[in-house]
Amino acid sequence: MDWGKLKFFLGEVGRNFTRNAGMQATAIGTVTVTIILLGAFLYVRGLMMHLSTEVFNQIEISVYLSESATPVQTAALRTTIARDRRVRSVQFVPKKEGLKELRRRMGGQVDTSLLTQNPLPDKLRVRVRTPEDVSRVAAHIAKLPGVSTINYGQDVVARLMQLSSVLGKIGIAIIATFVVIASIIISNTIRLTVFARRREIGIMQLVGATNAYIRLPFICEGFLDGLCGALLALALLAIAKVELMPKLSAALPFVRLGAASIDVWQLALELLLVGGAVGALASWVSVGRYLRV
Amino acid sequence: MISLRGVTLVYPNGVRALDRIDLEIEKGTFVFLVGHSGTGKSSVLRLLYREVKPTAGTVVVDGIRVDRLRKSRVPALRRHLGVVFQDFKLLNEKTVWENVAFALQVTGAHTRDVMRQVPRVLDLVGLSHKSRMYPNELSGGEQQRTAIARALVNNPKLLLCDEPSGNLDPTNTTEIMELLLRINLKGTTVVVATHNQAVVDRMRRRVVRLDDGRIVTDEERGYYFLGLGQTQVLSG
Ligand SMILES: Nc1ncnc2c1ncn2[C@@H]1O[C@H](COP(=O)(O)OP(=O)(O)O)[C@@H](O)[C@H]1O
Ligand SMILES: [Mg+2]
Repeated sequence: MDWGKLKFFLGEVGRNFTRNAGMQATAIGTVTVTIILLGAFLYVRGLMMHLSTEVFNQIEISVYLSESATPVQTAALRTTIARDRRVRSVQFVPKKEGLKELRRRMGGQVDTSLLTQNPLPDKLRVRVRTPEDVSRVAAHIAKLPGVSTINYGQDVVARLMQLSSVLGKIGIAIIATFVVIASIIISNTIRLTVFARRREIGIMQLVGATNAYIRLPFICEGFLDGLCGALLALALLAIAKVELMPKLSAALPFVRLGAASIDVWQLALELLLVGGAVGALASWVSVGRYLRV
Repeated sequence: MISLRGVTLVYPNGVRALDRIDLEIEKGTFVFLVGHSGTGKSSVLRLLYREVKPTAGTVVVDGIRVDRLRKSRVPALRRHLGVVFQDFKLLNEKTVWENVAFALQVTGAHTRDVMRQVPRVLDLVGLSHKSRMYPNELSGGEQQRTAIARALVNNPKLLLCDEPSGNLDPTNTTEIMELLLRINLKGTTVVVATHNQAVVDRMRRRVVRLDDGRIVTDEERGYYFLGLGQTQVLSG
């Protein structure tokens, strides 16, 4: 390793980086905003996905049997449903069980002792392997003989899917916009540094430096801009998480936020890489444009 | 060392800077390019270090077809020649040493070579004792010697100088010319574009005279003005 060479190179990068403090701050700031948005988006999306799977996993198809169904018919129906490869499990719930369950779920809110007769029919509790199949499986079962009605919280599922898709699209649009803005500002910053150093670049070209070599410090500078912006964003995101999450959890007690297994370290690493990459790419383009002239 | 054949140079704005130039320069010679301002002296030099490409004709430098050189090969060409300008082109925030070392460092030279070559050329131009100074602490002559040291640090076989004494007083001019002569005596081919009459007349070297983009005279031991000494017109 030629330490003298490395020291010279780092010195050049450092000098650039500290020369244009104002512009540098602007570039870093836009990256920070971009990465905060991206980070918040990815985090919220992680939560949403976690929530969706939680909800989906709780989804079950209640297949209410007609009053007239004989035990033999019920058994046959059960086998038919269980043979469907999309179905994970089928469980028979006699009406007595159903009532107990209802009591448990409602807690003290409903006084079931007033009921003189069990109004619930027998049912089959069907769980599917993948949530997306639920409506198709349900429609299929509804047509089978011996089935009276079917219930699986259709509207909840539909709304949840719609919501996450809309939020996803809006988020991506906002982030794309900010990535573009950050790229433009970084590439402007680099262009200013290039302009400030045009004498130096001219001399480099004169003494036979290759374009790749001339480019390298600027790429590093852009990368540093992006990295600093991302680091700043991560710090702010971390603070936000520490400050906001307990409040959010308190406000939404039924959602087990803590159980969401979002790998924050991986997310942080990805955000840093995105920041650095945006910076490096933006400056690559802007120096390239200068050198081609 | 240098061979121009039928070289025409038309700039993008339509100015015909050079018009069917033929010029041969042997290895190890010292040549003046003279002529009024705007006659194409700088343009000839620019062709040699591939700052511009000829519109027509061939340019050969040290066996390299410069007119056909791919862009990616230009850095390699430039490492084999040194260029010096009227305005020195030094970096003000770097010391003399750093300015000279810069030429090696940005071409990826090993630190070992930097440590060996920089003292050698600083000694050659007589600036070893000022290596830690910044350009604005130096006289014009010293700045130009720094620029020459930088041009020579790659051990080029060819040194191109565009009005090297254009910003210097007579004393400094003499100093620089003597330095260029010494460099030439060590075997480097030196081409100097100048309109400094005193220098040309004193040195009595080969003089190529340009007028309006053409070579009008080419004298072996010439003067600045045609006909001051025994003239020997080789082309025109
Ligand atoms: N980059 C350029 N673009 C257009 N015209 C140029 C350029 N450089 C020089 N010229 C023109 O070419 C002619 C020769 O210029 P130059 O070679 O610089 O002459 P000299 O060095 O003898 O003064 C002049 O008319 C000048 O205006
Ligand atoms: Mg000129």
